[in-house]
Amino acid sequence: MMDELELLKQDWQKRDREMPRLTYDEIHRMIWKKSSSVVRWIFYISIIEFIVPHLLYLLPSFRSGMNYDVAGSLGIRIPLIVLTVIQYGIALYFILQFYKRYREISVLDSAGKLMNRIIRTRKTVRNYVVFCLSMILVFFGVFIWGMVLSDDLIEALHLHPDGQVDPDRLKWIVVGIMSVAGIVFTAVMGGIYFLLYGLLTRKLYRNYKDLRRMEG
Amino acid sequence: MTKELEHQFVSELEANQNIVHKVCSLYTDNREAHNDLFQEITIQLWKAYPKFRGDSKFSTWMYRVALNTAITLYRKSRKQPKTQACDTVLYKVKAEEYDPTQERQLNLMYSAIRELGDIDKALVFLYLEDKNYGEIADTLGISEVNARVKMSRIKTKLRTILNP
Repeated sequence: MMDELELLKQDWQKRDREMPRLTYDEIHRMIWKKSSSVVRWIFYISIIEFIVPHLLYLLPSFRSGMNYDVAGSLGIRIPLIVLTVIQYGIALYFILQFYKRYREISVLDSAGKLMNRIIRTRKTVRNYVVFCLSMILVFFGVFIWGMVLSDDLIEALHLHPDGQVDPDRLKWIVVGIMSVAGIVFTAVMGGIYFLLYGLLTRKLYRNYKDLRRMEG
Repeated sequence: MTKELEHQFVSELEANQNIVHKVCSLYTDNREAHNDLFQEITIQLWKAYPKFRGDSKFSTWMYRVALNTAITLYRKSRKQPKTQACDTVLYKVKAEEYDPTQERQLNLMYSAIRELGDIDKALVFLYLEDKNYGEIADTLGISEVNARVKMSRIKTKLRTILNP
């Protein structure tokens, strides 16, 4: 029985001669090409993910929404400032963690360790994204809370109803729209994130599971 | 200095390129993907080369980087004709050297190996390259006992294919 496998081994080792051969120049040209490895992609996407939540503030509508005048007249200025400070502090912490983990990834580790480190790095970003999404929900929540408590919401938002609509009804419509918008926005951002990483790391996770199963 | 390092690296890789080609032939199924993976492994080897201290043989060091790239880092590029397979070396058997039964058996085993998962393939590859279990375990990051157990399971599987 053993013979067949020994035969295979011999045959395999003889196949050296049949392998393609690249010239010195062909190999030399390759070494400066850009890598398209999973790790590189995770790095690029993470940078984007760290930046995007902050780009939202550049959108005029978002800025006016987060406008402290409006916040002031809704009576939620202080909670918003506190939240913003906390948000930036935590974001900074995540960026440092991510950088540290990213630097630890080494192709010279064993396959198991390498996969483990990539997954840990990716999880840091995932936690950051979960944190950002919760922050978005909290921000929306604070605004809605401010609106509900506000006596004169229409005035605070600088809305000018034509007098036909009942102000009380309008208030609940605005609150409703805000709530739906908050949830939809969070869900869409989350969906994009999980799709992106799901596709990127599917193979990695499968192999990691296979390897762990061997140890199990 | 960089030029010298570059020259040293390319010469070593040129001399040992068979190892990389063999990994590529196991993990890809057409010429284009083969070259793509070869290039990614070359890039990873070059990036890690400054850390190569010469305390092991260049070829030994290559196994790890090449397999890590194939198993973990490499992403198949999207546009690949799936049907146009078998251009690879694994299927080329020199007819004059073997009797037909043996040739058939070898082909059966090679196709069975191609059907294995990425990790199992790595195990078989290292086994075929005559690595000992200590090295295999170390490269994959599992215990030596588990490497043995797994390999004997794969062997049994290959035998069943040959003697159904």
